[in-house]
Amino acid sequence: MQASELKIPKKPGLRGSVMFSISFAFVLTIVTMITVEFSLLEIIENFTRPNMVVDGLLSPDLTQIFSERSRSAFLETLQLAILGTVSGGGLSLLMAFWATDFGNPIGWLRVVVRNFNNVIRSIPDLLWALLFVTAVGVGILPGLLALFFFSMAVVTKLTSDTLDGIDQGPIEAARASGSGQLSMLRMAVLPQILPSYASFLLYGFELNLRASAVLGLVGAGGIGSRIEFFRGRLEWSEVWGLVLMFFLVVFLVERLSVTIRRRLV
Amino acid sequence: MITFRNVSVEYRPGEKALDDINLEIQEGEFVVIVGLSGAGKSTLIRTINNLVPITDGELQVDGNSVGDLSRSGVRKLRSRIGMIFQGFNLVDRATVIQNVLMGRVYKLPTWRNVFGAYPKKDKQIAAKALNRVDLLEKAHSRATDLSGGQRQRVGIARALSQEPRVILADEPVASLDPPTSHAVMQHLQKINRDLGITTIVNLHFLDLATAYGDRIIGLRGGKVVFDGKGSECTPEIFEGIYGRSLTAEDTLQEDI
Repeated sequence: MQASELKIPKKPGLRGSVMFSISFAFVLTIVTMITVEFSLLEIIENFTRPNMVVDGLLSPDLTQIFSERSRSAFLETLQLAILGTVSGGGLSLLMAFWATDFGNPIGWLRVVVRNFNNVIRSIPDLLWALLFVTAVGVGILPGLLALFFFSMAVVTKLTSDTLDGIDQGPIEAARASGSGQLSMLRMAVLPQILPSYASFLLYGFELNLRASAVLGLVGAGGIGSRIEFFRGRLEWSEVWGLVLMFFLVVFLVERLSVTIRRRLV
Repeated sequence: MITFRNVSVEYRPGEKALDDINLEIQEGEFVVIVGLSGAGKSTLIRTINNLVPITDGELQVDGNSVGDLSRSGVRKLRSRIGMIFQGFNLVDRATVIQNVLMGRVYKLPTWRNVFGAYPKKDKQIAAKALNRVDLLEKAHSRATDLSGGQRQRVGIARALSQEPRVILADEPVASLDPPTSHAVMQHLQKINRDLGITTIVNLHFLDLATAYGDRIIGLRGGKVVFDGKGSECTPEIFEGIYGRSLTAEDTLQEDI
């Protein structure tokens, strides 16, 4: 007797709605392309026409970074990134602690800190820079303030998530032996999050370094203001030279940072 | 001396975790508290160091009325009471000696705790505590690299480094295997005999309770239903405490 073929139960789930979502996304994309008058031909046409920007990319001035002014602007960028990370990232440890119930026994203050953290996180780096350029004027100070808030927001968020998952046992042990609040945080909590926190600081530094290139575009100091200067004078070889050298530095710093972070966690 | 007078604890109105407890525990006693889970054992020992505040009655510990203490009074009281936990509650990433030094936290100024700058005297106290549980050679191992029994002995050393008058142990062997459980209980017993530290241990294994408890207090539904010598504790009495007949799971050794 031949065994009858087994009937496989129908796969449960949302096949229909998945298909619908995909086709909806596809249609949406087409409609958007038509609305914004997107045309691939136009892009190709623009690039093949004689074009100063593309010419500049083909002959970038890689030595521009070593000129006196570009060098100091570049150093400014590094300083901004370091200062912003250390100050903002340092404060974010406190902000993350104050948003937890074991780190902050005062209920209403906890709510205030949590909401503050949520608000600063929703503001992107460039908007911070614009805000502070408007508030305190053009220069390195608005850049620093922007990176301070930006890295505080990022590192606070990541550290808070880590704090949510820590082992609460040592906290109870510290309290049971008569520890004060600060000693408890130092002895029972900090050792648990320190490797992750250090890695978040490095990550914040990477983000800040990249962000500090854009900050200059709105007048907030650093290498970005140099790039903006040459762009204004239509000196594209210099623009591309700076961008390429900056890219190289960011790439190296990132590789280094990723290597260190892997060892930490 | 620890005195409970009509002590009650309500976590929510009407739900009594402890119901009208009256007890007197003398200095240097070794007391085992038994009862089913939910009977109020953990709550009872946590009232002694005010981790759980009492809602009614009067609780005297070492001449302090626990309910009336200020925040700094509570910290001072806790510094004289060592506590040992079922889940050890060690900082896994920290070294053994760092964990033990946590017991010195109350005696040292905050800046010393924050910077980990421990005076020689306190390091000596921590080393002596570790030596007492035979773990001095593991001082610089990470807590996470130790076995369960060793970790609980670090927990004991941490409590000892407080130089306490009282040790509270909440189900200290519940996550350990039988031979390790006996080793840990023997350490607790020896510390009680040698140093005269009042020791109160929550257990749910009856054979361990009768083997180590000089005095056994039985809790059921938040009430004291038995209080007597460990040697007087018969299986019938345990059935009364548990409110049901005994099973193999009520003992550590299965052949009893």
